[in-house]
Amino acid sequence: MTASTDTVQTVRSLSQEGYKYGFVTDIEADEAPPGLNEDTIRFISAKKEEPDWLLEWRLAAFRAWLKMTQPNWAKLHLTPIDYQAATYYSAPKKSTGPKSLDEVDPELLRTYEKLGIPLREREALAGVAVDAVFDSISVATTFKEELAKLGIIFCSMGEAVREHPDLVRRYLGTVVPQNDNFFAALNSAVFSDGSFAYVPAGVRCPMELSTYFRINAAKSGQFERTLLIADAGSYVSYLEGCTAPQRDENQLHAAVVELIAHADAQIKYSTVQNWYPGDAEGRGGIYNFVTKRGACRGARAKISWTQVETGSAITWKYPSCVLEGDHSVGEFYSVAITNNCQQADTGTKMIHIGKDSRSTIVAKGISAGRGQNTYRGLVRVQPRAQGARNHTQCDSLLIGDRCGAHTVPYIEVRNPSARVEHEATTSKIGEDQLFYCRQRGLSPEDAVSLIVNGFCKEVLKELPMEFAVEAQKLLAVSLEGSVG
Amino acid sequence: MTAVVPMLEIRDLHAQLADGREILQGIDLSVNSGEVHAIMGPNGSGKSTLAAVLAGRDGYEVIAGEVAYLGRDLLAMPAEERAREGLFLAFQYPVELPGVNNMYFLRTAINAQRRHRGEPELDAGQFLRAVRAKLKLLEIDQDLLQRAVNVGFSGGEKKRNEIFQMAMLEPRLAILDETDSGLDIDALKVVAHGVNQQRAPDRAIVMITHYQRLLGYVEPDHVHVLQGGRIVESGDKDLAVELERSGYGLLGDAA
Amino acid sequence: MSTVVDFPVKPEARPYLDAFGSGDPGRRARDPDWLAGHRKRSLARFAELGFPSRRSEAWRYLDLRGLQEAPMLPASAMRVVAGMATRAQLAEVGLSQAAYRLVLVDGRLAPELSAVEGVSPGVWLGGTATAIAERPGLVRSAIEAPALDTARPFAALNAAFFADGFVLDVAPGVELDRPIEIVHLASGETGGSLHTRSLVAVGAGSRASVFETFAGLRSYWRNDVVELRLAAGAELARVALVEEAADALHISEMLAVLGPTSRLASFVMLLGGRTVRHEATVRSEGEATRCALHGAFVLSGRQEANIVTTVDHAAPAGETREVFKGVAAGRAHGAFQGRIAVRPGAQKVDAHQLSRNLVLSPRAAIDTKPELEIYADDVKCSHGAAVGDLDEAALFYLRTRGIGREEARRMLIEAFVREAVELVGSPQLREHLLSRLARRLAMLEE
Repeated sequence: MTASTDTVQTVRSLSQEGYKYGFVTDIEADEAPPGLNEDTIRFISAKKEEPDWLLEWRLAAFRAWLKMTQPNWAKLHLTPIDYQAATYYSAPKKSTGPKSLDEVDPELLRTYEKLGIPLREREALAGVAVDAVFDSISVATTFKEELAKLGIIFCSMGEAVREHPDLVRRYLGTVVPQNDNFFAALNSAVFSDGSFAYVPAGVRCPMELSTYFRINAAKSGQFERTLLIADAGSYVSYLEGCTAPQRDENQLHAAVVELIAHADAQIKYSTVQNWYPGDAEGRGGIYNFVTKRGACRGARAKISWTQVETGSAITWKYPSCVLEGDHSVGEFYSVAITNNCQQADTGTKMIHIGKDSRSTIVAKGISAGRGQNTYRGLVRVQPRAQGARNHTQCDSLLIGDRCGAHTVPYIEVRNPSARVEHEATTSKIGEDQLFYCRQRGLSPEDAVSLIVNGFCKEVLKELPMEFAVEAQKLLAVSLEGSVG
Repeated sequence: MTAVVPMLEIRDLHAQLADGREILQGIDLSVNSGEVHAIMGPNGSGKSTLAAVLAGRDGYEVIAGEVAYLGRDLLAMPAEERAREGLFLAFQYPVELPGVNNMYFLRTAINAQRRHRGEPELDAGQFLRAVRAKLKLLEIDQDLLQRAVNVGFSGGEKKRNEIFQMAMLEPRLAILDETDSGLDIDALKVVAHGVNQQRAPDRAIVMITHYQRLLGYVEPDHVHVLQGGRIVESGDKDLAVELERSGYGLLGDAA
Repeated sequence: MSTVVDFPVKPEARPYLDAFGSGDPGRRARDPDWLAGHRKRSLARFAELGFPSRRSEAWRYLDLRGLQEAPMLPASAMRVVAGMATRAQLAEVGLSQAAYRLVLVDGRLAPELSAVEGVSPGVWLGGTATAIAERPGLVRSAIEAPALDTARPFAALNAAFFADGFVLDVAPGVELDRPIEIVHLASGETGGSLHTRSLVAVGAGSRASVFETFAGLRSYWRNDVVELRLAAGAELARVALVEEAADALHISEMLAVLGPTSRLASFVMLLGGRTVRHEATVRSEGEATRCALHGAFVLSGRQEANIVTTVDHAAPAGETREVFKGVAAGRAHGAFQGRIAVRPGAQKVDAHQLSRNLVLSPRAAIDTKPELEIYADDVKCSHGAAVGDLDEAALFYLRTRGIGREEARRMLIEAFVREAVELVGSPQLREHLLSRLARRLAMLEE
């Protein structure tokens, strides 16, 4: 399927052709004052011209948040976050970034080059404040028209609230309620924007929906909220993220993603994320706390999460599936890489409620340098989940003797006809394997890359093609300096 | 008339393990283009150490001596550079690379070597054609190639895979480390056939072996006996036959 | 009389604090100073900690509300001569051919039921109280060991209140040819809690095997702590069979420290008791140790059992194998939590853990959490866990051979658990375990 290739190529060619439309900026009051209280919430809601019900929804979330405490995990070292010191709303365009690529960290530029990112896009990604680098509006328009013909809605959250309030109201918070957890509550109170998609019954979305061409608009993607709905018998594939390291002055990212798949529908959600990991000592990196959950509401619904995560000083995310419908299917494929001083605590939750529900988990962790990689998963089979099936495979690859890999699966079964199987292995890249590759003429870096890709193969093949190629390059870049 | 530069010239090579045990205690060996040499010896004589040191494996320290490969200082080159210069080692225990597709691995290696030599890389079509020809030669099943490198291969399949790689990479100097160990007679014949097909005037082959078996099928020009880390005797193929008959003890305390 | 302390005391600990203060003066007079001091410190520790709640990771699968609500104070010091019921139980649960047998009733040594004569020279076998009096050098360091000082409330309570236990000390270079049998019985007439503290020390190059049975009548709480110390090259096999009374609470801790090239084979089978928790902590402190931690639980009715294991590889080249089989029927709940940790520098460790479980009825529940914490790269570590029901195909096969449904299920369940029992080294112990297992399985579906 070349849909995604088409998408990206069109986008790239447009950016190279030049722009007819300038980037629209419309700024009155720029920023909310720092701090978080009910006034901040009202300010945000007013700025976005939201209906009352949504303001009330945000406030309810905020009140719930006030009663919660930030979670602590044994193996993550978090410098305390001062929630009152941050700004929770700022206009999309602010000239605080570097004025040209000359001012950008050369390491970053080298990475863009290795990942094959075209010149024009490097400026946007590096945060250079240029007027019109990337015209997301015209590109978005072209695709929206095509999708509209099929009845597919794909737009920003803000637009969805304005144009399709009923749909949003029906589904928002039904998979991740406001009081689900600390960061979800915070997100529900102050979410800035995000993606919304609705695919009508029986429709197969012809292209991969991607945030790729929303890079500019999503600059304030600190508290993103995404809601995807696949109606009965429909199919949609969604790509999130980008291989280029995303810098951001915002230390904390707390996003929420809700997926709803009705009977016989399928949602494929892929993420390739390369958050800026901070310098080699881990300073300045991004804290990435995400609540991602999919509900298979109807019979035979299917939700697949595929992710390649690297960078990020701290990643905490557990994409989950709630398998409500009978014969529903949940899948989780993940590669998590930690190098230098990165820490990742990731995994998934599969909750089996419907009969004959099935889940598959394949998690590959690669630790190098002083990275610490933890897989934390939950497979829970509820009493009514007759015939539930799960298979989990967690493998850790350790590169060097100063890193760590931890596997912590929770398996909780309340139905006798369920079958749950879990396997985990830990290994290293063998000296023998490295030498074998070198004896065939491969450099040590290429040898590591080859072996690591082999290790991650099962996960990488689940990614849409374009992403898979980027992901492989990303693996190589992330592991630089880890061997020898 | 230009002097013939030996393919491989080893002079007084001493090498020890990381724990200080000296295994190679003064090896002298000269291999010319077009020749096939056999190095035989009992267990512990240093055969595998020699192969490892020539290929550039970590864990060994050369404490004296020199090795010239096509006139260049071999010991100064890292392992992958030696490979790209045409030195091939067929491993005694080929390692497994889970998830790494056999074909993909081979093509990556071939192109790395071609790039080094300034030759154009092989595209998918060219590569496939070359593969098919060599597959037949070594009686390797097509679908073995679709699998991960050596994963789930029997002993014989692994050894044939090594010689298949040799055929694809077309090295100048091939070192075969106990390639015949663990093979039944049929596999041995196939492997020997594959090796023989690669004899050429501009190539040299060094077979390291404990038994005489392989040498019956791949006839060596020179046979050397390695014992106690030194070459204690050299001769032609008849020496191998005699060793087989009388055993290594015949050499007494030559070490 | 209320004991006064100068730190906040957990409410559930208060009755125990007071019981200590007003407790058995006879026992306290006999304690050497070091022990008296240790008891006080331990009690203070317990008072600080209180009982663990379900929010504590290691205790999330156990329901201890009963203990929170109604204290089970330590049984009185008076030694009661074993009655008929207890003797009958001993005859039933004991090994038919006991080599050396030491019996404890209500947490105290019962010499009239024990038989320890003829133990080889170089072997000391007796009660802990006796050891404290006669061989303090032997037991003091073990009892005062820091391992007990961390947040382990039950071990702290145990240290404060234990009256007796057993001590086995094997000098270097001694091979015990027959297993030492220890039978822990509870008469059910004391009520409250029984605390026993035991020690097995195996000298360099020696071999020994210990078989412990825990059984009792009526209602009680047994809190047992046993420490195993293996010197370089020592080998120890320890089998524990828990067949407590239907209304009993059993909480036990096994702490093992392995010296270089030593070998520990531990097997635990939980068949009886209302609420049972067995915790095994093994620390490999020397190179090339071999540790086998195997076990099984078979539960029905409203039983609840937890097996919690921690193997800590602090030295290189260790090997660990764990196989645990769980069976839950009726409305029972079984949980397995196993952690294997490999510290930085502990290279070449080879560890594998397997947890297999059967859920046999709609109201039964199984939780399993195998955990790996790896800080060294040149290691082979893996774990596997599975939960399911009996294989339909296998059941059908048996039935086509004329075997009734119920019996077919029993056969398969027995085969399932037997796989773990087969890992026990001694044929005599295996046979005994299998016979007790068969008896338990016959009552499974109740």
